[in-house]
Amino acid sequence: MPARLIRGVLLIPVLMYTAFSAGPYLWTAMMSLRTTDEIYRNHYGLPIPPHPWKFYTAWTEFGYATYFRNSAIVAVVAVTLITIFGAMAGYGFARRRYAFPLREPVFLMLFLSVMFPPQIMILALFQILINYKLFNTLAGLILVYVATELPVTIYLLRAFFAQIPQELEEAARIDGCGDWAMFWRVMFPIALPAVATTAILNLIYFWNEFLYAVVFITKQEIRTLPLAIQFLVSDQYFDIGMLATGLMIATLPVLVLYLFLSEWFVKGMTAGAIKG
Amino acid sequence: MPAEQPETAQALPRVLPHEAIQRRPPRRPWGAIALFLTPALFFYFAFIIYPVLMTFYNSIHTLRMDLGMVYEYVGFEHFREILREDDVFWKAAGNSMTWAILAPIVDIPLALTLAVILYSKVPLARFFRTVWFTPLLMSYPVVGVIWLWVYNYDWGMANLVLRAVGLGQYAQAWLASPTTALPALILVTTWMFAGFNMVVMLAAIHAIPQEYAEAARVDGANTWQRLIHIIVPLLRPTMVNLAILDFIGKMKQFALVWVMTRGGPMWGTETVATYVIKRAFEWKTLDLGYPSAIAVIWFVIIFGLSVGLTRFLQRREALEF
Repeated sequence: MPARLIRGVLLIPVLMYTAFSAGPYLWTAMMSLRTTDEIYRNHYGLPIPPHPWKFYTAWTEFGYATYFRNSAIVAVVAVTLITIFGAMAGYGFARRRYAFPLREPVFLMLFLSVMFPPQIMILALFQILINYKLFNTLAGLILVYVATELPVTIYLLRAFFAQIPQELEEAARIDGCGDWAMFWRVMFPIALPAVATTAILNLIYFWNEFLYAVVFITKQEIRTLPLAIQFLVSDQYFDIGMLATGLMIATLPVLVLYLFLSEWFVKGMTAGAIKG
Repeated sequence: MPAEQPETAQALPRVLPHEAIQRRPPRRPWGAIALFLTPALFFYFAFIIYPVLMTFYNSIHTLRMDLGMVYEYVGFEHFREILREDDVFWKAAGNSMTWAILAPIVDIPLALTLAVILYSKVPLARFFRTVWFTPLLMSYPVVGVIWLWVYNYDWGMANLVLRAVGLGQYAQAWLASPTTALPALILVTTWMFAGFNMVVMLAAIHAIPQEYAEAARVDGANTWQRLIHIIVPLLRPTMVNLAILDFIGKMKQFALVWVMTRGGPMWGTETVATYVIKRAFEWKTLDLGYPSAIAVIWFVIIFGLSVGLTRFLQRREALEF
């Protein structure tokens, strides 16, 4: 009985924290289904009747279709590139067969860049992108994203590739497996759980990234969602209802995925813990 | 953080003769090495190392964007000006430091409390964990807009709650005063990261061998004593690691400030990261050299602290679970 009582008492702070944690977002979700007029009459009213057409309006008339498409292109292309290049390098840095004299120092140097603050690169990257006509292009943003997240991706995948038993590699080699086939057909499939973890980590990071986007993108039609939201806050400060709808459009894809894959998400996000 | 020992080091002992023959590398497969490492190293050198070196180079030059990016050598003039004359820099550095120190002090005990509560078999623990983790999945602009509303003077949730519990006299425009704006932003990052810190600690608690708690129970320790004398000391490395991570993360804080306050009011929430961007793109000087010098100073501090703190503590295994 006392144990049950203690648990009951513990539920109080748990529920209070849950209200703090989920309250602001639920409030936004409710506003996303209400018109701005309704919201100004009562900011905390329930969405009755709901106005789901607001999502259609935001999508077609407020440019969210474009911003969503830009974010999707950037995130999907960057995750694809970083996953392939990161796995290749992780494999190359992990396996004994590919050891060469300066490999460990090179890896350490690569790894140390995980701790670089973006400010030490961003102004020079701005110049570089301008020089190569990549400023104000999604391609430029993608290249920067891939480069800045590669070190942590390689670090995580290398740790995984290093654990795959040597015997497996030898068996495959005796069967006549070349270097590329070894990586692509043997090792990569085995590493899929780790690859998926880093892919999720990077997907969230690219979908949400703001600092590089704000410096490298100034044209409206190629804004990503986080960037668009920042501009919409000032442009339509008083249209709270539509802004709330936009916030839901920006967050729902990730949150729906999270609902189904929450274990993977938690694993992926905390695996990136070294990144901060 | 030192890298994990690669398998080269551990695989060598007890090699049987026939294995030795088989394992002697015929020749280094340079082609394969190049194939696997070239793409990553290209990105690394082109988009990380080269820009870093360029920033160092820029920091001793004046580089006017409105005058066709002509380099003019100024030596360490920028550094002298930043450290001796730039009050805004010192204000921004103070804010970043305050943020970096206060955040872990709030975040880590909060996360520990939440983790211990969930560990004590509260019903629906998985559900709560899932909900608390959610804020981390949103971008800073999204979080920033939501919290601009929460802090709204007339109808925001913060003042609503204060008025509801009879503390209405404390209701105020949280982001409008230099004294409350920074703490208000710090609370937002706590809201974002508490679930994350909690999850890592919960995993660390679960990693503690059951025997320890059992042994203490046999010795007559009650729940509270087991918590204080067994769980908390064993979690120390994890807490220290998370605190460092939190500290470094807050030293780099940019996006939330940019969306919510733009550094205002009266530089009250200016961070070094926002100041660098402001000096580069919103200042009448339009000079890339000066903000590069700020970036170099901050880079040395952050990188030094990251390497220093992690080497000093050398407990990286705590984050691997």
